[in-house]
Parts: sequence; structure tokens; C-alpha cells
Amino acid sequence: MKRTVARNLAAVVAAATLGLSACTVADPATPTDSSGKLSGSLTVACGAMEDWCKAMTDAFTKKTGVQTSFVRLSSGETVARLEAGKASPEFDVWHGGPADGYGAAFKSGLIEAYTSPNASQIPAKYRAADGSWTGVYVGVLGFCSNQAKLAELGVAAPTSWNALLDPKLKKNVATAHPSTSGTAFTTLWTQVTLNGGSEDKALDYMRQLHNNVLQYSKSGTAPGQTAGKGEVAVGIVFTHDCVKYRESGMKDLKVTLPTEGTGYEIGGVALIKGSKNPAAAKAYIDWSLTPEAQNIGPTVGSYQVLTNPNSTKDERMIDLSTVKLIDYDFDKAASAKKALTARFDAEIAAQPKS
Amino acid sequence: MSALDTASLTPVAGVRTSRRQGARSDLSAKLSIALVVAVLLLLVIYPLIQILVRAGSAAGLKTLSGIFTSAVNRRILLNTVVLGSLVGGLGTLVGFGLAYAQARLQFRGKRLLHLITLMPIVSPPFAVATAVITLFGRSGIITKGLLGLETNVYGLPGLVIVLTLSFFPVAYMNLLGMLRSLDPALDEAACSLGAGRLKIFLSVTVPMLIPGFAASFLLLFVETIADLANPLVIGGDYTVLSLRAYIAIIGEYDVAAGAAYSVVLLIPGLLVFLVQRYWVNRTSVVSVTGKPSGSVSMITSRLGRIPLLTFVVAIAALIVLIYTTVVVGAFTNILGVDNTFTLKNYRYVLSGIGSDAMITTSLLALIATPVAGVLGMLLAWLIVRKTRRLQGVLDFAGMLGLAVPGTVLGIGYAITFNTPVIFGHRMFLPALAGGGAIAGGALAIVMVYVIRSMPSGQRSGIAALQQIDPAIDEASTSLGASSATTFRRITLPLIRPALLSGLTYAFARAMTTLSPIVFITTPKTKIMTSQILSEVDAGRFGNAFAYCTVLIVIVLSVIGAINLLVRDKTPQQRVRATQERTDTPS
Repeated sequence: MKRTVARNLAAVVAAATLGLSACTVADPATPTDSSGKLSGSLTVACGAMEDWCKAMTDAFTKKTGVQTSFVRLSSGETVARLEAGKASPEFDVWHGGPADGYGAAFKSGLIEAYTSPNASQIPAKYRAADGSWTGVYVGVLGFCSNQAKLAELGVAAPTSWNALLDPKLKKNVATAHPSTSGTAFTTLWTQVTLNGGSEDKALDYMRQLHNNVLQYSKSGTAPGQTAGKGEVAVGIVFTHDCVKYRESGMKDLKVTLPTEGTGYEIGGVALIKGSKNPAAAKAYIDWSLTPEAQNIGPTVGSYQVLTNPNSTKDERMIDLSTVKLIDYDFDKAASAKKALTARFDAEIAAQPKS
Repeated sequence: MSALDTASLTPVAGVRTSRRQGARSDLSAKLSIALVVAVLLLLVIYPLIQILVRAGSAAGLKTLSGIFTSAVNRRILLNTVVLGSLVGGLGTLVGFGLAYAQARLQFRGKRLLHLITLMPIVSPPFAVATAVITLFGRSGIITKGLLGLETNVYGLPGLVIVLTLSFFPVAYMNLLGMLRSLDPALDEAACSLGAGRLKIFLSVTVPMLIPGFAASFLLLFVETIADLANPLVIGGDYTVLSLRAYIAIIGEYDVAAGAAYSVVLLIPGLLVFLVQRYWVNRTSVVSVTGKPSGSVSMITSRLGRIPLLTFVVAIAALIVLIYTTVVVGAFTNILGVDNTFTLKNYRYVLSGIGSDAMITTSLLALIATPVAGVLGMLLAWLIVRKTRRLQGVLDFAGMLGLAVPGTVLGIGYAITFNTPVIFGHRMFLPALAGGGAIAGGALAIVMVYVIRSMPSGQRSGIAALQQIDPAIDEASTSLGASSATTFRRITLPLIRPALLSGLTYAFARAMTTLSPIVFITTPKTKIMTSQILSEVDAGRFGNAFAYCTVLIVIVLSVIGAINLLVRDKTPQQRVRATQERTDTPS
């Protein structure tokens, strides 16, 4: 009952914002056909789960008639691809994935600032002041454990970052490579923050963790799967990804959080510089901030916390007020990203394990 | 009278035309050389030069020197060489065992064994790795579920198993061909001199095959060091160079570092082909013997049969097990965790992105296959018949497509063709690779397919042409045909079987190629192998299995269709068809 009310409310808000976005689109400078409708096609670089990406782009295509396709790319990959195609970008919009990557891309001149008329609905802490990106969801970093595997090893589900260094967990932790994965960079920057901003100390921690890591995957969502299949005991992922895997059949997975505090992501949306269809791209961004778009997530098993206060809540989403979050400085993280991932790659990823 | 006229006129006319034809034939040969050289320059030499230039930049040199000075990097280099050697050796051994059984043993199901052996060639590189993790991983169905073992398949052991199983069919095909063309007279001679079977095997058969062993070893070595899918999926902490190059480009977009790693990968690749060309070919005994003259005596002693058959059956069973896992895995939710039957993997693959990738990949491979086949044959014809001075250079340049590790080629393409090719102030070529390029970057992918597949056509073309008497060509030319006509009307029909095998291999290769493709696939040109890579990396093995089966089905049906199409037009069949038509009373 409560939910239907919320849904109705959402629909009303959606309708209202739609009216709003329709106004933006009518801007005479944007390429629209004679009827004032959006046209052409749109390519989205999507940093979330594939089915989430598909549901989003399909819904936008259905709604506007703009042929919207997506490529699922990890955060670092997206920046690399944008860099490679700078002269003639292959993407119009970047949707999903931690905001640090967006900040880094903005600083490299790959993203164009765009403040959507709908951005005012999003709390200020969930968007960049300079308009480089706007948050669409929030995800909390956590541990995704395979309980059977833990029992076998005689280890309790980890509740602190240091617990991951337990020698019993040797080659039993899965995480991604921060050069490609935004999730893994969030892990890395969380360590920097927990160590009072010292990159050296953070890398020291990662070096110790390195001994327990089985292998670094490209995508940040993979460690949850690896744990779910029992190939490792613990995966470091955003908790919503772990919940998704549990729902899809890996019933043994359990989410725990570190007591020292944990990092979080703000999944962003942004306009790519040099987009060939800026009108449609802006309309997509406007739409992605509405409850109508954000409510699509839970329908495909993605339970991130949604940034629009009017979006529907689901009990499977994590309650941010119960989590000890660190003070994650997205701007600073974005500035440090490129050099720090390069350091990780050179100093840790390739090192032999002891 | 008219007969006399013609008789008196013909020689004159004949001389005149043949002189003119001679000039023209020279011209068409020259034109073909120019065409082939231009293609090779654009498709392989220019990207390689770009890599060398980037690796030679300050940043590139820094990475390059770092590879040899830092202990960690030296270890990675060593890892790469060790992996390449292990897979090269083991793959050659397995390939030889199966080839020997195929050629020298009499047993039921030989044909079936042959088909099973070739399975890995027509399947994408991940089929084996994902199946091996599912079966023999830490929570593997067999290792953990059935045997209760604590095994670790990640790292060197896993890589060696997976890569050996993926690549050994190449060695198998090479060695089978050689074994079949060995002259049985040699065996008979040794036998009549009193040598036993084992003695014959060790002192006649094996020495004769040494060039084949060397060639297979080297080929597998290059394929292995270029592979980046398997180290990513099952490498554990065993880091290899190709993976470093991949992270440098895909994660950091550090072109200089990527180019530097590529140069290091390139050296063994080129070395291998130089060695093969100048050492293996020179010491080859087999190529001079031609067709076998007697019949091979099969091995009948139990002492030989039983161990060999056991080995063969074990390998075949492993392959069957792996592909069964792929097929079953495609129909289950999460194989090994939640074994409920589902069609969702296929629904995922066949709708939306999956079907896009299927159509694009097949289409591009279908475009590239005939181009690669014809170019390969043309190149073979030029090398064997038309040039003397350029022979070696052309042959080597043509083989570069295979000698250059895929990772290197892909990085070279990304560096070279992502931006328009500009000399001075003139644009020679628009951007060919990347999403912003013409045709959505499809052209660069076709180019990669062509250059990767051409060498197989070239090799089989050269082998076939060397067996055709040049007198046939000369006859055609002296009857007034131009070089081009001779190639089209005489040479091509004669080397049709070689063309056919070149084409089928080219298609299978294009469809299953990954290493170069990951660097140049774009939003508009989604390629199946790179889609499978992301599914596997994200851990969605069910989708990956479904993709693999779909890809295998596509490859097999196209190979079947090529066989039907090209075979239908063979002269004998046409003759037979005519005979049948005349035989049937109307």
C-alpha cells in the first residue's frame, strides 16, 4: 500500500520533470526535427551492471525514440577510451560508475560541464559543484563473503580491513585492478583516507593485501561472482553488487562492513565533450535524474541507494544512516587518481607474492 | 585454302601477340605486386613502425629499459618465456601423440577423434578456461565436488593446461600432414635392415619430423605469449607481458608503455619466424619426398598400442568433457552453484547486444575471409612464380600477420588508425579505428582479420603451387593468356583445395581472434570474442558459455557452407554432373 503511494508520487514527479526536460530540449540551438522531438542515436558508456545498463537505455529509447545503445566499461577503461578517441568521441553520455573517474576525466578535458535542470532535486553532496557530474546512485564498499568457504578456512566474516590480511585468507581475497576498475580505486582511496591521506601508507596496506589476493580482475563487480562461485572466500565489492549476486542464485553470500569505516561511491552521469548528439545526451542526463529512471534499478536487481529523494526505496537497499562512512573527498580522489593507479600498477600489481 | 591462310598467318600473329602479351603479363604481375605490397605496408608494416616510434619515445624508452633493469619486470619477462616454452613443448607433444595415433594406428572412431581434436580451433579462447575453472577450480565440480581436493588451478599450472588444450591442434595439424607425407619406403628400408618398431620410430620417424616439431613449438610459443584472455581469467599471480601491455593501454591509456611492452613481445615473435624460415625450411627432409609411394604399415604390437591409445583417449575425453561443460553450462543458472535449468543465458546472448555482436562479427569475418584467401593465394603465386628478387621479402612480410603477436598488432592498430593518417599537411587516410572512425571502426577490424588470416592462405598456396609444374603456366602464357588470366583460369582452379582449406581456416581464425580485437572494438562494432571476455571477466560464465556455443555453431555452419560452395564447382564434379545428365534418358 505504502509502495503504491510512493509509486504514484514518483509518477507525478516524473511527469513534472518530463515537462521540465521537454523545455530544455526545445532550445533552438539543439538539433531537433521539425516537430521538436529528439532524433538520431545515442551511445552511452555505462559503468554499472549490464542488465542495469540495458534496462536504462531501453527505457530511454522507448520513451524518446532516440536509438540508445551502450557499452559496459569499467571506470578506468572509459577514461582510456575517451582519451583514445578524444578527436572524435565514440560516446555521448557516461552513466554509472564511481564519480572519481568522472572527476579525473573532467580534469583531462574529456567531459563537458552540464548542470541539468533536474540537478536541483539531487542533494548537493551528491553532485559536483562545477557541473562536471551529477550523482544517480550511492553504493557502499563492503565485503562479500562465501560463508561455506569461510567456514572451511576457519575464518569469521571479516569486519575490518585488517581482518582481510589474515594469513588464513591467502589467495582467498578477490578484488579488481584500480587501473581499470572504479570499485577497486574506491578501495584504494578508502585506504588513503583511513591512513590520514598518506598514499604511501595506503599502498603499504595494499601491498600486504596483495599476498592474499588471488588475482586482479578487470571489472569491479567480478570479485562478488568469484566469491559466489567459491573460488575465493571474500570479494571486495560494492554491497549492492553482492546483494544482486545473492538474489541471482549465489545464496551463500553474506555482506559485512569494516568497523574502521568504509568508502562509498556516487555513481555519476555526465556529458561527453564533443558528443555528436548533445541535445539527446542532455535529455538522457535530465531523465536519468528523475525517479522514473532511477526506479528502474531495483527492477533488474540493482539495489543502490538512489540520489533523488523522490525515488522509491527498497528494503534491500543499504541504510546509509547505519553505515560508518569515511569522509571521501571525491575531488581530491579524482586529482590523485591517474598517478596513484599508475603507482599501484607498477609497485604492487606486478609484484611477486610472498 | 583457309587452312593454309591460317597456317601462314598464325605464327606471325602468334609472335606478335605473345610479345604484346608478354609486356602486358609483366604489367599485370607488376600491378599485383604493387597491390600486395601496398596492402602489406598499410596492414602490418606501418602499424609496426608506429609501435617502434612510440616505444622509441622518451617515455617508451623508460618503460623499455625498466623491463630489463627492474627485478620484477625481469621476472615477468621470464614468466612469459617459461609459459611460452612449456606450452610450446607440451602442446607439440600432445599434438604429436594424437597425430601419430591418427597416422599409424588402426582403431575405431578415427574420424571422430580427428573432429574432436579440431574442436579448440573452432571455439573462442575462453571456452577452455571457463570450463576448466568450473570443473577443476577451487570449488570445481570434479576437484572439489567429486574428489574433495584442495587444488589451485590459478597461475602457471592452470595456464599451461588451458593454453596447451587451446593451441595443440595447430601442432596436431602440422605434424599429421608431415607424418602422412613421410615416405613409407624409409620405414621399410629400416625394417629390412633389421630395425625394430621402436628403433624405427626413434631413428627414422622422429628425426624426419624434427623440423615439424620445431615449427610447432615456435608457433605455439608465439600464440602463447600473445594470449591475454587466459592470463586475465586464470593467471592468478602469474603475471605475463601481454597482460601488462593490456593494462597499460586499457586501464591507463599509456601508449608509450603499451608500445614498449609490444616491442619486447615482438622480438620472440619475429625470431621464431626467422628461425623457421632459415633453419627449419633448410633442414626439412619431408618437403622433397613428395607423395608417399607405398602403404604405411600400422602399429599392431600391444606394447605400442595400449599406452598410445590410452593417452589419445584421455585427451579426447578431456576435450569432450570441456565442451560438454560449455554446452551444459549454457543451459544452467550458475553451473556448480545453482544447477537449475534455464534459458536465460541464451535469451541474454540472443537478444540485444548479443545478437548485434553475432551479426557484426560474422559479417566482418565473412567480408575478410575471401579477401584474405585471395590475397594469400595471390601472394603465394607472386612468391613462387613471379619474383625472384623480392621473393624472400614478400614471403616474410606476408607472414608478419602471423608472426606479430595479436596483442602487438592490436596496439599498433589503435595507435595508428585512431587518428587520420597525415603526412605533411595532406590527409592520406581518415581515421579507420575507433568509434568515431568511418563505418564505426569496422574497417580496422576487417583489416586485422585479413592480415591475421592471410598467412594461412599464403602457406597453403605456396605448398600447393610448388607441386604444380610451371610448364602448365608457361603453356597458358604461350597460348596468349596474360598473367592475370593465367592466374585466374589455370592457377586458381588448380590450387582450389588449398584455397578452400585456407578460407575455412581464415574464417575460423577471424571469428575466434581476440588479442588484437580488444584494442579496436567500438560501440558500433561489437565483436563476440570481446563480449565473451567481458562476460568471463565479470564472472558470468553462463552467458559466456552460451556465447561460446553460438560462436561454435556459426563457425561450423559457415565452414560447412564454404565447403559446399567451393566444392560444387570442382571440375570433376562438373564432368560427373554432365555425364549423369547425358546418362539419364530424357
